[in-house]
Amino acid sequence: MALFEYKQAEEIRDAFARHGARYLFIGKSGAILLGYPDTTQDADLFAEKGDVNGHAIVAALEELGFGLKPEQVHDIVRGRDFVQLKNGPFDLDLVFAPDGIETFGEAWSRHVDVAGFPVCHIDDIIASKEAANRKKDRESLDRLRSFREYWKRPR
Amino acid sequence: MAEDRPDVEIPPDWLAEFEAAARRPLSVRWRYAFIHTYKPVLDDAEYRSFETMEEYRKWCNENLPDWLGYGSV
Repeated sequence: MALFEYKQAEEIRDAFARHGARYLFIGKSGAILLGYPDTTQDADLFAEKGDVNGHAIVAALEELGFGLKPEQVHDIVRGRDFVQLKNGPFDLDLVFAPDGIETFGEAWSRHVDVAGFPVCHIDDIIASKEAANRKKDRESLDRLRSFREYWKRPR
Repeated sequence: MAEDRPDVEIPPDWLAEFEAAARRPLSVRWRYAFIHTYKPVLDDAEYRSFETMEEYRKWCNENLPDWLGYGSV
């Protein structure tokens, strides 16, 4: 798997926008968009559940070069909670029901726009990691909370 | 949302890193952030999906090496 280049992030942003797909960057990739300095290996997208949005996401992914099989299209349109794609130009996790966030609408109401990238608020990114309670999240939470303090400072 | 969280003091070395990152253009931050290393089991399938996050967490706990860090605490 090749590295996930910034140009590809822009392609996601633009393709999803063209197809009207509703999503938010979440997880460490979202934090990185907000300015958090760290490393990650893939992008996590919190996508809104629903047929219309599912079809929009499928269209965008196909445009980006993901060769989706009928089963994958079905899972995305249905909005299975977690869909992991490793058969495209970069690795992508679609999360339709992230831990620690009640609804997409609530997260959207708090989201931050970074150069056209829709990104979950840092509070939601932290809340989802706290709720997931994985070892790797535990290790990064103190640093993420410190980043939140920094990010919220008036500049 | 953690509105009533206690004050967090930012360690000076982290603060320096946050400030340095803030000075970099987004495209540079992105380039520094994305790496790829092979993750056993996780990278061995082109596709997987789970009906619920609970199922996904259970699968991670039962199938991934502990050291990858995807297991629940």
